[in-house]
Order: sequence, then structure tokens, then C-alpha cells
Amino acid sequence: MRVSLAWLRDFVAIDRRPRELADALIDLGLEVSAVQEAGAGLERVVVGELLELAPHPNADRLTLCEVSTGDARYRIVCGAKNMKPGDRVALALPGAVLPGGMEIRKSKIRGEPSEGMMCSEKELGFAEEAAGILILPPDTPVGKPLAEALGRDDTIFDIELTPNRADCLSHLGVAREVAAATGAPLRAPAAEVPESGEPAAKSTSVTIEDPARCPRYTARLIRGVKIGPSPAWLTARLEKVGVRPINNVVDVTNYVLFELGQPLHAFDFGTLDGRRIVVRCAREEEKLTTLDGVERTLSSDDLAICDASSPIALAGVMGGQPTEVTARTVDILLESAYFEPSGIRRTSRLHGLRTEASHRFERGADPGIVACAADRAAALIAQVSGGAVAPGAIDVYPALVARPAIRLDPARANAILGIDLPAATMVDLLGRVGIEAVATGGAITATPPSWRPDLTIDVDLIEEIARLHGYDRIPVTLPTARLQPPEVPPDRQLQGTARQALTALGYHEAITYRFISPGWGDRLRLAAEDPRRRFVQLRNPPREEQAAMRTSLVPGLVETGLQNFRRGQVDLRLFEVGKVFFRSSAELPEERLVVGALLSGAGEPGLWGKGRPAEFHDAKGAVEALLERTGIEGARFVAEGTSPFLHPGASARALWEKGVLGEVGKLHPELTAALELPENVYVLELDGAEMLRAAGGRARVFSPLPRFPGASRDLAVVLDAGIEAGRLVEEIRGIADAGLQATLRDIAIFDVYRGEGIEEGKKSVGLRLFYQAEDRTLTDAEVSAFQETILSRLSGTFGAGLRT
Amino acid sequence: MIDSLHAIRDEALARLSSLGPGVTEAELRDLRARYLGRAGLLTAASRDMGRLPAEERPRMGQAVNEVKRRLEEAFDEAERRRAAADRASRLVRDRVDVTLPGRRPSIGRLHPITQVAERAIEIFSGLGFMVAEGPDVETDYFNFEALNIPKGHPARELQDTFYVTEDVVLRTHTSPVQIRTMKRLKPPLRVIAPGTVYRCDDDSTHSPMFYQIEGFMVDRGVTFGDLKGVLTAFVQEMFDHGTRLRFRPSYFPFVEPGAEVDIECFFCKGRGCRVCKSGWLEILGCGMIHPEVFRAVGYDPAACTGFAFGMGIERVTMLRYGVNDIRLFYENDQRFLEQF
Repeated sequence: MRVSLAWLRDFVAIDRRPRELADALIDLGLEVSAVQEAGAGLERVVVGELLELAPHPNADRLTLCEVSTGDARYRIVCGAKNMKPGDRVALALPGAVLPGGMEIRKSKIRGEPSEGMMCSEKELGFAEEAAGILILPPDTPVGKPLAEALGRDDTIFDIELTPNRADCLSHLGVAREVAAATGAPLRAPAAEVPESGEPAAKSTSVTIEDPARCPRYTARLIRGVKIGPSPAWLTARLEKVGVRPINNVVDVTNYVLFELGQPLHAFDFGTLDGRRIVVRCAREEEKLTTLDGVERTLSSDDLAICDASSPIALAGVMGGQPTEVTARTVDILLESAYFEPSGIRRTSRLHGLRTEASHRFERGADPGIVACAADRAAALIAQVSGGAVAPGAIDVYPALVARPAIRLDPARANAILGIDLPAATMVDLLGRVGIEAVATGGAITATPPSWRPDLTIDVDLIEEIARLHGYDRIPVTLPTARLQPPEVPPDRQLQGTARQALTALGYHEAITYRFISPGWGDRLRLAAEDPRRRFVQLRNPPREEQAAMRTSLVPGLVETGLQNFRRGQVDLRLFEVGKVFFRSSAELPEERLVVGALLSGAGEPGLWGKGRPAEFHDAKGAVEALLERTGIEGARFVAEGTSPFLHPGASARALWEKGVLGEVGKLHPELTAALELPENVYVLELDGAEMLRAAGGRARVFSPLPRFPGASRDLAVVLDAGIEAGRLVEEIRGIADAGLQATLRDIAIFDVYRGEGIEEGKKSVGLRLFYQAEDRTLTDAEVSAFQETILSRLSGTFGAGLRT
Repeated sequence: MIDSLHAIRDEALARLSSLGPGVTEAELRDLRARYLGRAGLLTAASRDMGRLPAEERPRMGQAVNEVKRRLEEAFDEAERRRAAADRASRLVRDRVDVTLPGRRPSIGRLHPITQVAERAIEIFSGLGFMVAEGPDVETDYFNFEALNIPKGHPARELQDTFYVTEDVVLRTHTSPVQIRTMKRLKPPLRVIAPGTVYRCDDDSTHSPMFYQIEGFMVDRGVTFGDLKGVLTAFVQEMFDHGTRLRFRPSYFPFVEPGAEVDIECFFCKGRGCRVCKSGWLEILGCGMIHPEVFRAVGYDPAACTGFAFGMGIERVTMLRYGVNDIRLFYENDQRFLEQF
């Protein structure tokens, strides 16, 4: 909300500088987000009239200008091109220091004297950029200080109010806070209403059929108004708060709204059927064309202001077109009312209509100011439109809006805040914002004023005490607390381990949006019954391609990969640790933690010299490392049953004895082709819960370092190319020879070779076998015997022969 | 005999002295073997000694030993010289181009959001806060109702919340973890709840998904002063020990009194600049837990007090690293990620 300093001064004397005042308001909880100070830097800038233009004799781009300020003439050299004789311009005279810090002096520019400067909006600090000098409206009075001519002779505060402080949505409301901050007395608004003619009650009446929704309704009648433009003082103030002037009557209702916070409405009395007001809920299907020209069908939950026959306004939200004040209007019925907040909110939501009035009513207006605001507006309308206010306000107040007294224990206030204020001080502080407080027998009884619906329980008063005392005066303390055993959610431990392992492997962590396009179900070629199609869908997604919660990290990683590829990044190592979501029959979806990664480009990025492209086993290695760090032993990799978006010949599922840990593989060529991805992109995805189950919280146990030397022997066998290397390892592990199994510590595959020297359809596999005994040094003969056993087993099972 | 012995010696010494500077270790070893080896000339000569008359043998033996010593010294010396020359030549041979880049396996980085969040968690862990988590997809009850934001409350603006169904939302803050944790455990509690939250906002300073850290403490006698103390300790640890804080009254339905916390702008030291405009940077919201919240979880508001706070990690990260567009965090350009 925009607040004018001059307008505030109608209610409270202010001697602080604008910046200081802003700080005081901030300390009270009114967030002043900007202060536009009165004409700062515009002290020696006046409105000038451009009389003549002539080319500069020594410079093509400059112009010699003759500018009048009414009583004097100035010669100005100007570089702009957008002016012509007769224009009103902003003329900075020598001595001016513009908002940007530029000092204006008499000078010579390319040999010609210049006695000032014609300013652009940028130079005046009105705008960030400007194309030429500022040309003012032709009726701007010449010679006037620019600040005055533009209404910049006032300071404007931009205040962002929290929803609980509807009482500050007016100058009166902010003035109350200023008074509380500075201690200056508040001048309460009062209106003397000049009344004449027939009493209002003889011409009209107000009936409230739903006092719960409309506890109070005040009407005033003003006869014989002349609709026309408002006087300058009124439009100037409205413009300061950002409201467009319409006509003198509507302008007054807006003026009082911003002055006192009370929304008002003026009806053209002559258009009211039966010349009376009925406040009731609308009947289903009743129609009303509101001021914005929209015909609305009302619901029985909408409170309507009606005349004798039909709705004429959506109560507290917007008036109706048929009863609008127009140039032909003669008599005015002025409405000032209090509406119950939640009903206004429902109507405003239902019709998608948010107005200054609904904004205030739904947050809670001040039932106490209703009559005062009506009087103030009636008096002003009479003043600016020449009408006569009919004697007597019609004030129907069937349901008194109570602000019940609150009991406050001063000791509790001190205990919550960590201060030590006497009860008397608290009473005094509360009194500064209009709360009637008395301290009796160790307790304070406080009655909030009518404009503070937000104060209902003791902690509300404690906040009032705190902010009036000053948050900055509450001492900074550290709590004394009992120790508690730490509790680390297992998910968090897993996240930490995964992050540590993957960054160590050179993967960078990505965080992608957890909502994706549901189209990924098809894009990933998922079967109809695939659980990853059980999307949790958003009703109001940020955009269509973010309409579903992800069921896999793959879409986010692939999209991230795509973005990077498009920007020329091809060597990618990215991972993400995060949740995926599955629709379930329970109220809330199933959320699972998963670890995913994407690999493409170089196999060993960051190394120069002869490189190699990333391949399946790089990605698989990441999975193995991840499982190892998590404490999972004995995972098996099988080629069968991987996801349809993976290459069936270059992907594997990682299994443990009781389930599936996840999968790793190359993206399917169909997918890479469809998304225009490079051909060698690998992804992996592991399920967090399954990893935790497989790890089973097993503690790492130290194995003693061997005391006797081991022996490493290589064995190169040639066998059918189709036999997977992993089966050799399994076969060797299956040999029933206790001596061998007890000493064979490690089987490493160090080479797989096909090509020259090896028969077509066969391959050579190099195995490095490491033997070591705990209690002695193994002899050559022992080890050679083990090697023999292994070779004969491999040749028996696979027909493998020794490579020669 | 002695003459032939001396002839062997002289030949050996002559061949040694004629060796060029480029002699290899193997050449030298072979040469040595030729004279001093088991099948060497000197060995053969000493074997021949057996055929001499007994009285000549000692003299001859002495001569063999002398020659042997002499040659051993000479060969040792030659080997020392060769090794020294080899080491010297190595200094030239092993020269590298030190300006070629190091072969550096790339080190993965944690996302800046993770780094800052983990740092914050570490600081609060040091203050004895434990970590709790909750679901991203939350019921209306936990996200709003139990936090004193009933249906129709102005703080519950429709356009801010993503809905799954009428009563299920993407959590708009991590505060529901407060409710879940308090329902599960009894005071004393010091809890920190990091997590992803969602709001319908999308511009250079707002992301529809962002990261928040919620913290709260419940015990007997916890005060607003304690809230100031804990947050001051956190901010000074997170940013700089001289950083000043400003607590401004503000409004969140689940706390009362409520506050927003600004820190002194560290770009301009509070003088006011393009980033902060006012000299202050808003970083978090906080307050004393509202009695209605305690009632919702079955605590007696008369028996305990507590504070709660929540902060957006993106904002803190943007300030810490000078990142000017929040969307960079979710684009995951590898060149961006590699900078942290």
C-alpha cells in the first residue's frame, strides 16, 4: 500500500525524517519496502518553456535552446533531439544536484555558454533509462518547482502489510502506528456534516435480513449532487496512492477508503427500485452485472445488497452497473457497512473478484468506524459536488461486533519473551495502540479496539508488548537444554553415503524438479502396468510438462543431459539423490528415496592424451562402488528384465538375495534417437529402501592384515565368446576344495580379448588369481596344484582351453 | 704365472679405462664377470694355482688376492662413476613440460543447495538439534489446519499451493514436519527439518520447487530471547561473525509473536546497495510456537513454550555465492555445478 507523508500528517504530527520514520514503522512490523522521498534532488529544478531552437555552430549533435521560466530566460546547450518550441521541460538550474549526484553549473559546451540542463527522466531519477529529455504535459505551469508541479512534493512510503494487519490499510491506521512509535498524539477523525432538507429516514430505509453476514449497515442520502471532476487536491491525493480519479462522488468514496480504511459505495438513488436497501443472501440464479461489466450469476451463499426487487451490489466486493453513479445522477445513497470476513472471502473467491473493498472486508474491517466514515464521505461529497446531505444517518446495527476482553498474565508474557517488564509498563504499552488495559491483582485485562480483530488471545497481546517495547531490546540469550540422544533418519545416512561415493567417482550432483511431464511414461516405453506409470498428478501444475510427480530420476537426468548437450557439454557425470512418488490407495502417495546417475562422453574426463569413450562398465563400476560404500556385499548383475528404456544388450539389474537393488545400462537407441541424444548415454538408478534392507545395518568389521606373503598367478583361457565372464568366477567359487577356497582370496578379470590369434567365435579371458594362507607361506607346488584344479574345472564345464 | 696374472690385470684396467661415458650397467656387469665372475679369468687363474709347487702357492695366492682387490676396486669405482653419470644424464632425460595440464580425474561436486543445507544442518547439529523428515506430498491437515491456518484463512491463498486432491497438497513449507514430529515425540525437542517445498511462483527469485529448513525447539521456559540467541549463533556461523541481525515483527499463523529476520547486507556492509536496497537482507521467518499448534499436537500450551523458524536455502545460497537467478539451481548446467 502507498502511504503519503502529507496525508499522515492530517492525523499525527511527524517531525522525523522519512527514512527514520520508515525504520520506526519497520520496527513495529509494518514492512516499508520503499521510500520515495519528496523531490529529493529536485530542489533547483523548475518547469521551463522551450522558446527557440538553433543549431550549435560547432557541433552537429548539439542544439542551442532558449528556455523561459516565466521571469527569466536561459541559454541551454542540449544533446537531445526530441523537443520542439513550446514544449514544457524540466530545467535544472545552476546549483542543482540531481538525484544521480550530477551537479549543474554554468559552463561552456563546445564554445557556447550553457546556463543549466534540460533533464531526462533518467537524470531526474524517475526512470532507469530514457530516450530523450522529459517533455511535460502542455498545461504544466511554467516557473513552478518541478517537484510541486509533478506532485512529488510529498514522501510516499510503500508498505507491505501482513494479512493480520488490515487496520493499517489506511492512512488513519498507519498514523495510529506512527503515534504509537513516536508518542505524538493521534488526532481522531471527526466530520461535521452540514445537513438540510427532508430527513433521510423519510425517503429510504435499510433492512438487514442476514445480521450474521452483515452486522452493521449505515446509509446516508445526499440530494442534488452535480457530478463532475474532483478538485485538484482530491485527485492529487488519489494519484499519490495510485488510484485513478473517476468523478467527484466516486473519488470521495475512494478517498475515504484510503483515509479511514472503510470501503464505501455510492448508489444512484434514483435507480433503486422502491428507493430502499435490503441486505440479504442472493437467491440461486439471481443475476447482477457488476461495475466491471460482467454479468454474474449469484449463489445463495453470496451476500447481496438489494433494492426492493433485485441485487444491486455484491456486498463488500463490487457494486452493480445499473445503479452506478453517472453524469445524470442527482441523488446519492451512500453505503458504509461492516461485513463478516469469511463470507466476503467466499464470494470473492467464487467470482474471482478481488477489490480494495473485498481485500479489507475479508481481513476484518473496523465496525467502529462505519458511521464516522459515512459522515466524512457525506460531508466531502456535499463539499465537492454541491449536494445537500439529508438529515440523519440510517444506521442499522443489529449484531454488535464484540472484541472480548483478554486476560493476560504478565509473568507469562515475561517468560515467553525473556524480559522482565512490570505490569504497569505493559498496560502503558498496550494503551499506545488503543488497547484498554487494566492491571488488577497480578493480571491484566485488555480490551482490543474495534479496528483490531487480530487480537483474540494472550499471545496476541504479548506480541503487541514485544513490538512496542522493541524486538531489538529483547536480550539475546542461548537456551539451557537437556541433552537428547541424536536420531538420524536412515534415509539421510544413505543420502550422505551416496553423495560421498558418487562425488568421489567424479559425478556432480544435480537437483531436478520433482514434477515432470506425464508424457515420460510413453517416452520411456513403459508397459501399461509398469508402476512407474502410477503418477501423482497435480491439479494446477506450473506448466503442462510439470504436471506429474516423478516416479523415476531418469527423466530429470535425461532432460538435464539434453540441456547440457545442447550447450556443448558432452562429457557428463551427473547424479541425483531424491524422492520419487507413486500413487497409492492410501491418502498419501508412496514416497521412495532413489539414487540415480547419468554418464556420457569420455570414460575418463579430465585426462588428456588418448582417451576412451564411456562404456557400460564405467556405469556398472559406479553401481558397484555405491553398493560397496553402502555396505552391500554379494550383489549380482543379471542382464535379464531391465527397463524398456535401456539397451537390452547393455543393461543389467543389480540383485541381492532378497530383491532388486536397481539397474544400470545404456539408453535404448530408440530413446536416444527420439530425444536426439548422443548414442552413448548410460544411466543407473538404485532404490534407497532396498539398499538399506540389503545393507542390513551390518557394521564394517576389520580383517587383520595378512602376515604371510601371497601368490598371484595369471590364467588365460580360451572359450566360447557367448560365455559370460561372471560365470567363470561363479564356477571357480563353486569348486569343492576347502584348501583352495580357503586360500583363494581374489579372482580378478584383467583382460577379455577377441581377434587375431583367437579362433572366430571364441574369446580369451585373463584371470588373475590371488592365493594367500593365514598361517604360512604357500609353496609353489600348492599354488600350481590349485591352478591345475581350476583349469581342469573350467575346461570340463566350458570347454575352456589354456591360451597359448 | 704372475706375469699372466698381471697381464689379466692390465688388460682389465685398460678395457675399463677405455669405456666410454655411455657404458651401460649390463656392459659393465658383463665385463666384471669376465674377470671376476665365477667363470672369470681371475677365477681360472686362481684355480691354476693348484698346479704350482706348494712353496709358491702362498706368494701366488697373495698376488691373486692383490689383483682381485685391485680389480674389484677398479670395477666398483667404474660402477660408481657410471651410476653418477647415469643420474646426471637422467636430469636431462627426465625433463618434462611442466606447463602441460595435470592429469586430474575429475572430482564431483555437491550441488550448492546441498552444500549450504548441509552446512546449516551441521551448525544446528552442533547446537544439539536432531534431523527429522516428512513427506513432500502432504495432507491439508498437516500443511495448514494443524498449523492454525484453517480453510478460508487469508494466509492460504489458493494460487500459492499445488493441489493433488481437495485435501492433499504439495507441502508449501517444511512446517508440517513440526506437527508430525511433535505428535510422535514429547518435549524437550530440538529439531531441524530440511526438505523440498513447493509454491506456485516462477521468476528469477522464485522457483516452484525450493529447499527449506525448518527448525524448532520445545521445552519448559524457552523464550523469544532464546530464539534470538540461537538464530544469531546460526547466522554468525553461516555468514560472518560480525554479521548483525534485525528482528522485525511479522506474521505467520503458526507463531505468535512472529518475526522476520534480516541480516546486515555483506555486499555493502549495511549502507544500502543494488542487492539489498535497504542495507538489510531478509533471510528467514520465525516466532514463538502458537498455542493452537500445541493444542493440535496434544501439548499443553501452559506447560511448555517453544520457538520455530524456517528459511529458504536458495536465498541463503544466492547471497553466499552471489548467484543472481534462482533458476540456475535447477538447470544443472555442469559448468555451473563445477563451480561449487
